[in-house]
Amino acid sequence: MGCMKQSQEGARVLIEYCAGALDPVQAAEVERHLESCTDCRELAEKQMELWEALDGWKAPQVSADFDARLYARIAREQAAPSWKQWVRRIFEPAAPVVWWKPLASLGVAGAVLAVGLMMHTVPHPAGAPQVHADQVDIEQVAKALDDLDILAPVNPM
Amino acid sequence: MGAEAAQPSVNPGVNKDMEAVAALERDAELMLRVRGGDETSFALLLERHRAPVVHFLYRMVQNQAVSEELAQEVFLRIYRSRANYQPTAKFTTWLFRIATHLALNWIRDGKKEKSQESLNEELLDGVERQVPDRQPTVEQELLHAVRLKEIRRAIEALPEKQRAAVILHKYEELDYAQIARALGCSQSAVKSLLFRAYETLRSRLAHMA
Ligand SMILES: [Zn+2]
Repeated sequence: MGCMKQSQEGARVLIEYCAGALDPVQAAEVERHLESCTDCRELAEKQMELWEALDGWKAPQVSADFDARLYARIAREQAAPSWKQWVRRIFEPAAPVVWWKPLASLGVAGAVLAVGLMMHTVPHPAGAPQVHADQVDIEQVAKALDDLDILAPVNPM
Repeated sequence: MGAEAAQPSVNPGVNKDMEAVAALERDAELMLRVRGGDETSFALLLERHRAPVVHFLYRMVQNQAVSEELAQEVFLRIYRSRANYQPTAKFTTWLFRIATHLALNWIRDGKKEKSQESLNEELLDGVERQVPDRQPTVEQELLHAVRLKEIRRAIEALPEKQRAAVILHKYEELDYAQIARALGCSQSAVKSLLFRAYETLRSRLAHMA
């Protein structure tokens, strides 16, 4: 095993080791490395200390009337007119809808089409350097994709 | 702490895997019964997952009333979509995907500020609820309160996706694949989220050891 501190995959293994989530064979392998590597041993110790500190944060008990309140909401919803229930199903889905993806595909298709039309309809002035349509298409599509990336949900990792 | 002291306390192996498979089937079975109109199975699902969902949301938004409100929304959405349920993914993954989505939306909508006033009360609240078994001294209690506050602040200061990843990993014990599905990202993205989050937390909470 190489030094775990050096790669993200190695760090993941070390984190899982500290969480006690590795199988015995993998855990033994990590332990062998820790015996000879001061850097990884230090990291493992710090991670375990953090793990223990985080254990100290307990969440409060759920309120006793939680279920009663939920069932009241369900009853209210079921008593609502059926069109309202349909609207809720569409706008409050059980799985998050990635709405921008179909829009992004449409946008890219539109951009490609627009560039294609421009290349074919605008006449080249005599003597002007000829630009390959394919080349421009690729650049335009790349640009369009970059722009659309801004539309994607924020992803601060 | 030396290398020997670095022994993990738990060593889940085959048994844990089998438990996980059994739990997976149990949840899917219950949800299929809910789809068939069995209300008792919904009550059982609620019983099994109420606390994990509320606790996850509590650690995300750090406000008990808000966490319960959001958790109700999660179960309401599960119930609402019972007719179309297909056991394609693990039930808990689906549950935490909805919970994560609602929590991230709540945070992004900036609703945090509105409930900030209640946070200080909540902090004291949390301390009172977490008194250890033995009667602690006043100093011990104060130290505990200060540490707890630092942990909460450190987690709250993480970017929202890192925060969600850490809470799902540390407290809900989801694996990388499940966290990836809950967050709607790749497993390598989860690796990098957790790597950075733990790095930040280690340096912020280093003095606490
Ligand atoms: Zn090493």
